[in-house]
Amino acid sequence: MHSERELPAGARIALAVALSIALAAAVLALFTKDFSPALGQFFFEPFANRYFFGNYIADSVPLMIAGLGVLIAFRSRNFNLGGEGQIYAGAIAAGMLALSLPERIPPAQAWLFAALAGMVAGGLIGALSGILKALWHVSEMISSFLISAIVLNVGDYLITGPFQDPASNFQTTRQISSQLLLPRILAPSKLDISVFIGLALIAVLAIMSKHTRPGFELRVCGENEEFARYCGIPVALYQSAAMAISGALYGLAGALIVMGPQARVMRGFSSGLGWSAISVALLAQSSEAGILPSALFIAYLKAGSDHVMIGSGVPSEIISILQAAAMFFITARHFPVRKRRRP
Amino acid sequence: MSTPITILADILKYTIAAATPLLFASIGGLFSQLAGMLNIALEGLMGLGAFFGMAAAGASGSLVVGAMAGVAAAVVGSWLMGIITIKFKANLFITGLAVNLLAVGVTAVLSQSWFHTKAVVAFDIPRVMLAFPAFLGRIPFIGPVLFSQNILSASAWLWVIAAAFIIRNTRHGVRIRATGMNEEAVNALGYRPDRYHMAALIWSGVGSGLGGFALGVSISAFVPNITAGRGWIALVAMYLGRGKPLWIAASCLLFALAESLSNYVQGFSAIPPLLVLALPYAVTLVSLVAAAAGKKD
Repeated sequence: MHSERELPAGARIALAVALSIALAAAVLALFTKDFSPALGQFFFEPFANRYFFGNYIADSVPLMIAGLGVLIAFRSRNFNLGGEGQIYAGAIAAGMLALSLPERIPPAQAWLFAALAGMVAGGLIGALSGILKALWHVSEMISSFLISAIVLNVGDYLITGPFQDPASNFQTTRQISSQLLLPRILAPSKLDISVFIGLALIAVLAIMSKHTRPGFELRVCGENEEFARYCGIPVALYQSAAMAISGALYGLAGALIVMGPQARVMRGFSSGLGWSAISVALLAQSSEAGILPSALFIAYLKAGSDHVMIGSGVPSEIISILQAAAMFFITARHFPVRKRRRP
Repeated sequence: MSTPITILADILKYTIAAATPLLFASIGGLFSQLAGMLNIALEGLMGLGAFFGMAAAGASGSLVVGAMAGVAAAVVGSWLMGIITIKFKANLFITGLAVNLLAVGVTAVLSQSWFHTKAVVAFDIPRVMLAFPAFLGRIPFIGPVLFSQNILSASAWLWVIAAAFIIRNTRHGVRIRATGMNEEAVNALGYRPDRYHMAALIWSGVGSGLGGFALGVSISAFVPNITAGRGWIALVAMYLGRGKPLWIAASCLLFALAESLSNYVQGFSAIPPLLVLALPYAVTLVSLVAAAAGKKD
């Protein structure tokens, strides 16, 4: 006897979190020789000291900002799969700008310009997919992915070609002058003041979506396109704008990494971040406030994965397995439950 | 001694080779599209096919065993996607993304565990089984283009023909298409749409698994991100074909030509290789946009 019931959102999230943690333990048990130190490295090292903890929080910041970007695209029923390229473009635009600024410029101006450069670069790329969809119904999911693939190659070229640091053995641009970087907090970790930008953005967007007209109209567009059109809401405009804002937030996430922990643009530094942001937005279940715990959770899994790679040699790619599992559980709406207990 | 003719022959030869993984995957994807279960996990499933296929081919020394293992791995991936989407009523696109991520993680962790590296794993794979009879290869121009291909390239075209036959002429194919067109009608006739949704996903797993394996065989190795977006390019080829296997194959050839040209140009030109690498994606994007824009008029 099968009966189906829908789990409430809270229970689904709890289940997704619990099951991905259980899966992490299972993967470690399968692939490490010494299970208990690996378990400690994964689950406790991110909190072990100021340095690890600060780095863990620092890694959650781009996830918060990019996660908001995914969320806004989702809300307008758009899948932005171009995050990888949009982060890279934002990072490169910010990096190039910061490298060309005079060292004497007030730092706050440098931060502002770099952030704007990142947002414009990411935003334009996102907007392109939005416009292609509005004009000709080109699937934004596929166009954003393809544009991102092009951007990644062009970005690799810029970093290793015209902007390559001739003095470095790595594929990277020159280092950005330390006066222009975002001030660190919680030294010696890499955490900087961008965490406040992330928190502020979550708060601002949460308020905007609930209490302003554009926030409301965007919701209507996503929930019922026909009704929105009937109400005279410019649906195509909202959808393109949502893709543009989504790209801009991705771009900002990239810019802040460059102006903070990285202090340069290294080839492939943001690889995987775009996909992680999608997991964050899914876990947040379409709530801006939910982005904060989701970003902290995914960053925690990532920090744990990095620690077991260093400590026990398990590839940090286990983060992909855990994120996939979290995605599966979070998107499952009905659980077929047997009425009678199995004997 | 490269004359224009030999250069052209080289480019065409590589075009056919590069089309092989795309043909397998995009025709596999066609089943899912027809059933209304568009599979965006072709990329990840190809990765699974490449890794498990190459590992099995390397261990057994047999291409057939490799192909079977590659298909099995990708089928398990698409089955998992089907279970979660159909039984647990999950969002198809999200489960697709999840499978793409899962493939990256599983192949990296197992590569480290089995081969002690998550970088390049080279495999010693029998070449003998791949060759066509030698005399065919000696035909001028046609010989090097058509008959210096491996057996997988020939199989890809058989796969296109077989899929076209299944879709058009078998009861199974008709029901898959019917499920995509009108689920309720299929239900009313007493067939379970879920079964055909699942079958279509499994077919896409079969195609992607073979495509991934072909990719591995072509370089006798498994490397991280071996698919490098080919699953998505295959998806676009599938779109452009509008449900017709032959048109899908033509789109695959177009994208393979772009890949072949970008490979060729990379060797000796003033354009930086990294920019040239973007060419296949650019051609794919432009075709996608052109087809969509053309449709409206």
